[in-house]
Amino acid sequence: MNPGPDTNWRWRWAALKNGFQDATAYRLEFLFEVLGSAAVPAAIQWVLWYALFTLGGATEIAGMTYMDMIHYTWISLLFTQIRGGDHDFELQEMIRSGSLSTYLLRPCSVVEFVWIRGVAPKLFLTGLALVTGLLLSPILGLNPLNLITAMGFALIGNIIHYQLGAALAAVAFWWEEGYSILMVKNMLVSLLSGELLPLTLFPAHYHWVWKSTPFYLYVFAPVQIAQGRWTPSEILTHLGTALIWLVIGWGLIRLSWGAGVRRYQSLGG
Amino acid sequence: MNSLVQHLRIFGVQIRNNFVREAVYRTNFITMVIVDVIWLSVEYALFAVIYANTPSLAGWTQPQVFFFLGVFFASDALFTTLFQRNFWNFSDLVNKGELDILLTKPAHPVFLALTRWINITAIFNLMLGIGIMIRFADEAGFQGGARWALVPVWLAIGVAAATELRFAFSIWVFWTDRSWALSRLYYQFFAFATKPDALYPKFIRYTILTALPFAFIGSVPARALLHGIEPREWLQIAAVLVAFTLFNAHFWRKGLQRYQSASS
Repeated sequence: MNPGPDTNWRWRWAALKNGFQDATAYRLEFLFEVLGSAAVPAAIQWVLWYALFTLGGATEIAGMTYMDMIHYTWISLLFTQIRGGDHDFELQEMIRSGSLSTYLLRPCSVVEFVWIRGVAPKLFLTGLALVTGLLLSPILGLNPLNLITAMGFALIGNIIHYQLGAALAAVAFWWEEGYSILMVKNMLVSLLSGELLPLTLFPAHYHWVWKSTPFYLYVFAPVQIAQGRWTPSEILTHLGTALIWLVIGWGLIRLSWGAGVRRYQSLGG
Repeated sequence: MNSLVQHLRIFGVQIRNNFVREAVYRTNFITMVIVDVIWLSVEYALFAVIYANTPSLAGWTQPQVFFFLGVFFASDALFTTLFQRNFWNFSDLVNKGELDILLTKPAHPVFLALTRWINITAIFNLMLGIGIMIRFADEAGFQGGARWALVPVWLAIGVAAATELRFAFSIWVFWTDRSWALSRLYYQFFAFATKPDALYPKFIRYTILTALPFAFIGSVPARALLHGIEPREWLQIAAVLVAFTLFNAHFWRKGLQRYQSASS
């Protein structure tokens, strides 16, 4: 039976509501999660700038002054919370444990269902980050329109991050250690997304490393846009790159899950 | 003395059991090695990018930082081998009432809770960490010789600090329904252990040397091996570790008073 368009939207709305309620049911944990994942990478960045500029006496590194670096850190805080969560881990665990079976019986796509549940708290945080950014824009010297565009990029980054994670999670159909691949992906993301340092610090002959992955679209690109460092044509070029990655991600999910579900035995473990 | 022998005997049995278990899951070994090598590579790359822009970072040269990474990696691998999996399962002990069984056994329940799972394959990472230390020892200015004998001592201090800290973050499961966020918070703070403490501003440095002694995991051991530390700092390390032991013991007792057996 093919559910009608009305039913289609109803389950999506229900999943979104459910995801938000689930994330905020344990408010203290939610708060810890947000504060921890925002404050610690920022503190690590600050420490590096402190060591390089204050202790090391540098005045400019890769064309950026101490204040440029601090600005980068502050603004990156608005976006590090939006980039994907760990819901790809949930997918691989469903496959591994066999609990995927109950989802396959439902009239909805399990990959989309898990993403919608996971994105609910991220949408809340996006709103919060946007309001905070707008309030601080006079202090940080941000153009509100740039900030809104940057948030849009961060949300596209969230989708790409999940798409790649979901495609990698499908490895669990073949191999019980699928979580390791996701961990490796997250480690690379932490370095290549720009949440630990501006990617311009990479030596020029290594810029191809971060440019050849979509991870820079999660944090580095939004910060560049918010700070007005990219021209409209550069923004359009990177938007084009993001759209290509969205299509690649979609294709990878179709391929990996199509093949994986055919192989799935629902036995768990 | 009898109690110590009994606990050592139990630990021997746990090692044998875990060895058999790990022999069954051989792919786990390769997976763990790959993940950890990539993790180390990411840390290495981060410092390589920074050192591409500066010759020295808070007085630390690039080989010294890589030596530090070797010490940190070895210390963390030892913790992973002995305790990490037990902490991941710690909340289940309380939430699912599995602690009941441990409370009835003739050995200390904390000892049983923390030695049940041993990740023998992580020993490879310990060797990898030591290999990195050896590779960068000369360039970093490590004097070597008899000083190599201090490496096990400092690794033990690193593991003790990590265990005390992880326990202090896990114990709250008696009061909260889920400990997932606190475990995650531990790993967020753990990022402070991945850099030499000399890099940090005074306040953070003071914190990671006292209230949250993440610097004891790799940074202080590396600094001590490279340059030695003063008696005052030895005393500080001992005082912090004893304070954490007392803190954890107190909250363990309080937690047990609150524990309501199955599904508390």
